[in-house]
Amino acid sequence: MNHAASKNLNLTLKIWRQAGPKQAGGLKTYQVSGISTDMSFLEMLDVLNEQLIASGEEPVAFDHDCREGICGTCGVVINGQAHGPDSGTTTCQLHMRRFKDGDTIVIEPWLAKAFPIVRDLIVDRSAFDRIIQAGGFVSVNTGNAPEANTTLVPHHVQQDAMSAAACIGCGACVASCKNASAMLFVSAKVSHLASIPQGQGERSKRVLNMVATMDAEHFGNCTNTGECEAACPAKINLTNIAQLNREYLKASLFSKE
Amino acid sequence: MTDSTAQCKRGLLGCLGLNWFFRLLSSSIGQKFVMGVTGLLLCGFLVTHLAGNLLLFAGAKPFNEYAHALHSQWELVAVAELGLVVLFLAHVYLAVTTTIGNYRARREFYVLKQSKVPGRIIGANTWMFASGSVVLGFVILHLIDLRMGLRRSLHYFPDPEAFEAPFHNTMAALSDPISRVVYFVGAIILGVHLSHGFASAFQSLGLNHPKYTPLIKIIGKIFGVIIAIGFASIVVFVPGMWR
Ligand code: FES
Repeated sequence: MNHAASKNLNLTLKIWRQAGPKQAGGLKTYQVSGISTDMSFLEMLDVLNEQLIASGEEPVAFDHDCREGICGTCGVVINGQAHGPDSGTTTCQLHMRRFKDGDTIVIEPWLAKAFPIVRDLIVDRSAFDRIIQAGGFVSVNTGNAPEANTTLVPHHVQQDAMSAAACIGCGACVASCKNASAMLFVSAKVSHLASIPQGQGERSKRVLNMVATMDAEHFGNCTNTGECEAACPAKINLTNIAQLNREYLKASLFSKE
Repeated sequence: MTDSTAQCKRGLLGCLGLNWFFRLLSSSIGQKFVMGVTGLLLCGFLVTHLAGNLLLFAGAKPFNEYAHALHSQWELVAVAELGLVVLFLAHVYLAVTTTIGNYRARREFYVLKQSKVPGRIIGANTWMFASGSVVLGFVILHLIDLRMGLRRSLHYFPDPEAFEAPFHNTMAALSDPISRVVYFVGAIILGVHLSHGFASAFQSLGLNHPKYTPLIKIIGKIFGVIIAIGFASIVVFVPGMWR
């Protein structure tokens, strides 16, 4: 660690402020100074909010929870890019060393019809929850964890399932897609369970119901631009969308549903 | 028995047991399939059409012979034309409805938007509707010029059945300034459309795998270039060759 590299930044922030779901919003400009390059992006917003509270202004509302890149709660569009300029990185894991002294940073919330703005940078992502609910259950025993070797899963299958399961449901795919399509999210969930033995019983029903809910929630259509994959902090691959397409076709043609 | 009567209450499709089919076609993923399949079949047409039209470089006789041989199979031509119309209309219809749906789903636009795909500034993939619209305009003019023969100013061959007619009429269209420009632009934009569309169709059909996807992407780009250069070269060189 080269601590000598740590510097302080003076920044101009242009942040989307919107008092409520129905109110009109707009960009508002703020100045922050003395931001350490070792800070995370959210810590920088914390500094701004301290400053706003001290001067009697409403702090900027933004979502966050774990601040270690695993919960998927955080997420804003930074200079036009979901989760900012780094690939495979959530907003909370983005560090201020990525910026230069004197930079102007534009911060906007996820925008999509299916993700209505609640306030400032916070959007309502419950459409994702409804898609997950539509996916239903998997038929596995509850109670004690089963003995690990009763269900054998080959390593490469585990790998595929794990890389799909890495999706943290943050919504960056929808935010970055010009069509506000949720296919990367849905495909990660579908591929994950379709890959492993535990997900087989409800495999067809799951994909049909999740896609039906995705469509009903007014997400857009995928046009294979790949913006979602590039913006995804969990690096979910586009091959999952191809798998989703296959699963859906298979379920339509060969299942009883 | 009880099963089928219960189903019949759900309309004609239910009676026929085709609700699943309707669900497939009205879903976002089903529409992508149709988009991909129709697109790929239309690519097949482009290959045969380009192959036939390249005979224009060989001169009037080979081209006329080819055209008459083709048209003498009129039953096949009728079926093929009907198929092409269906493919084309399905492709265009879905392009319009999904684009409207996508626009509604996006609804709000960012003050600032940048791609996170490394190296991408502006790609063919974001312009599929625009490029498709240009191609549609080109195809409509092309059909008016040469399939329907509706543009008096082109001086068509007096007897449309005559041996010389196909080459004469094609040259008449290719020498017309409006058609020439539209055909040229149409051919180039068609190539741009294919450079994303070809590979994209495979993804929509669920065919994406590290084993062959890189190859499909390269083939898609090469295919786009071949189609664009192939058709554009006819527009550029053929009128001067057989003046
Ligand atoms: S706050 Fe949990 S992923 Fe960023």
